[in-house]
Amino acid sequence: MTTASQPTPSTELTSLSSSPIEPFSPEPLRWVAEDGRPVRELPVRYTPELLRELHHEMVRAREFDRKLVTLLRQGRTTFYAQSSGMEATQVGLARSIRVGHDWVWPYYRDHTLGLAMGVPMIDLISQCLGTNSDLCKGRQMPHHFGSASKNFVSISSSIASQVPPAAGNAMAQKYLGTDEITLCTFGDGATSEGDWHAGLNMAGAAKAPALFVCENNQWAISTNLAAQTASPNIHIKAKAYGMPGFYVDGNDIVAVMEVCGHAAEWVRAGNGPALVECLTYRVGSHSNADADAEKNYRTRDEVNSWLARDPIARIEGLLAHLGHPVDAEERANLISSVHRAVDADVLKAEATGQPDWRIMFEDVYADTPPHLREQAAFVRAEQEGQK
Amino acid sequence: MTATQDRSAQTGQAQTGETRTLTLIQAVTEAMREELARDDRVVVFGEDVGARGGVFLATAGLQAEFGPRRVFDTPLSEASVVGAAVGMAVRGLRPIAEIQFADYMGPGFDQIISQAAKIRYRSGGQFTAPMIIRTPSGGGVKGGHHHSQSPESYFTHTPGLKVVMPSTPYDAKGLLKAAIRGEDPVIYFEPKRLYRAAKGEVPSHDYIVKIGEGAIRREGTDLTLVGYGGVMPDAERAAAALAAEGVSVEVIDLRSLVPWDRELVLSSVQKTGRAVLVSEAPRISNFMGEVAYVIQEQAFDSLLAPVGQVAGFDTPYPYVQDKVYLPGPNRITAACVKALNY
Repeated sequence: MTTASQPTPSTELTSLSSSPIEPFSPEPLRWVAEDGRPVRELPVRYTPELLRELHHEMVRAREFDRKLVTLLRQGRTTFYAQSSGMEATQVGLARSIRVGHDWVWPYYRDHTLGLAMGVPMIDLISQCLGTNSDLCKGRQMPHHFGSASKNFVSISSSIASQVPPAAGNAMAQKYLGTDEITLCTFGDGATSEGDWHAGLNMAGAAKAPALFVCENNQWAISTNLAAQTASPNIHIKAKAYGMPGFYVDGNDIVAVMEVCGHAAEWVRAGNGPALVECLTYRVGSHSNADADAEKNYRTRDEVNSWLARDPIARIEGLLAHLGHPVDAEERANLISSVHRAVDADVLKAEATGQPDWRIMFEDVYADTPPHLREQAAFVRAEQEGQK
Repeated sequence: MTATQDRSAQTGQAQTGETRTLTLIQAVTEAMREELARDDRVVVFGEDVGARGGVFLATAGLQAEFGPRRVFDTPLSEASVVGAAVGMAVRGLRPIAEIQFADYMGPGFDQIISQAAKIRYRSGGQFTAPMIIRTPSGGGVKGGHHHSQSPESYFTHTPGLKVVMPSTPYDAKGLLKAAIRGEDPVIYFEPKRLYRAAKGEVPSHDYIVKIGEGAIRREGTDLTLVGYGGVMPDAERAAAALAAEGVSVEVIDLRSLVPWDRELVLSSVQKTGRAVLVSEAPRISNFMGEVAYVIQEQAFDSLLAPVGQVAGFDTPYPYVQDKVYLPGPNRITAACVKALNY
């Protein structure tokens, strides 16, 4: 049941109307070909400086992945879900909204989105290590951070359960008369859950300012898109909920920024919600729990075909095309600076120690009720008895 | 039915015949493999159970052996998985649905309590849904609260469902086979921290463990210690520690919560006069509250001390402090000492 072929973006140029950002396009919209050659005129804002910044953020995200996998192997954290291959989608998304103004209900593979939104790296690392510097106080498994300063709501493991709350968040924004929008992200697998349909339906009926973005990396653990849904793609499902659905090459950061930025402002203008599907690929395994992905459920050839469409190579190709190539030394310096920064933050986080048992009884309710005070007193006595 | 109903399971041991040492998860896989081979109405499905073999590899190799018609992946939707199992069961199949973690039964909850649990009753017995929902539950694997919860009490509260949780490979296989051959929907919780930690002898011959029968893991005369699932190894450690102090603890593994073995527990408490109940689920509305109620109702005159309870705390399951959250052997021992010194 999992052997059906994967959808792939066409390598041919798609003929589009004068406004390239049309909903329900048959092929993913793109601005830059795999070799870095622009296939549309680049908007003027894509200066070499901006493209270098984007490149830097994407490399930082990839190296962060590498370092966190090393931490896993060292036993300093217990879970990590890489986003390698999805950098253009997540960095591009961060550039499509007003960070700290808009609200984000992310899914569990969105650490690159968080980093690109300016969540300090040490906050992510602290959450992964469950140290006293973890803003979430060591409650959740690694890789499930949240940042109130960025309106980045704490990540939940349960698939698609963030979608109805995101609709409500957007309804509140409309009710309060703000010009904020809500960005809600999820993977392709999440679109099978009832919560996903309930959330989109609600937001559509309420004409709430919600931007729903499917980071379609084509695999929900070991289940591919063809086994997930009989739809040829995800974005066409927007039709049923009365909103536009956009289809984007998620490995082309210019395309992600152009289309998601357009959709975000369309939503912000009071037109109701929109759905964007960013077609990308998870190059690594789902998590450290299925490091044997190639052995068990997908082929090395498939992975290699997507490595050839790498989003970082693509932006490097674009920079080279524009006469501003990233040379080997610059890349090496960039990589080593990220590694040093991660190492330093890991040490800083670990130096804060692990939260003790008291954190277990905090934040269950606004006020701690008597039965929890009793249970905390029980553990205190137990701990003192062990000294 | 060719299986022997192995009453020797009172002690969790096979009496006769050839045995092999299996882990708990190997026993789960073996039960499904044998039942798939025995009955072509049996189908196995859920998220990632096919080529991947399930996130814990409980279904590893089954798709290769029985094909994607019998063992298959589903879209990522617990409501669809459970609801489809109800429909398949009504139409005559014997579905074994896997929910990847018990924490994710939420989206399937309505299908479990509104459809699976009630179709026999609401149809006057015209339609039934004999099906199994297998799911890893409990903590101790550094999973944080979305990968460590013990939601069994939600389901014991719903008439129409049977609820079981083995703690040994022998019971894991025997209970699963009984569930597959039974006529009711069964929620089959698998204590994930025992998947590979629990090893034991499993007979080569076909057998079942009847749903509703508990097992005495250790005989004793001073106190009855009752548990199920992931806490059982710690309960046995506590009993061993107390034995070294000259205290004789009888250890009972409930194995089934609905129905549960009232007679076994009551006769033990009537013998020992003291009971301590252990589970790792949060304490409020914990299933053990029902056990405590029945003990005080039906064995009140035998009690020499209040019924003790060791449970998880009434907090969401914490990641960093999961060892403090879980009732370990020391906490169980302390509760027993308290009952003994009352």
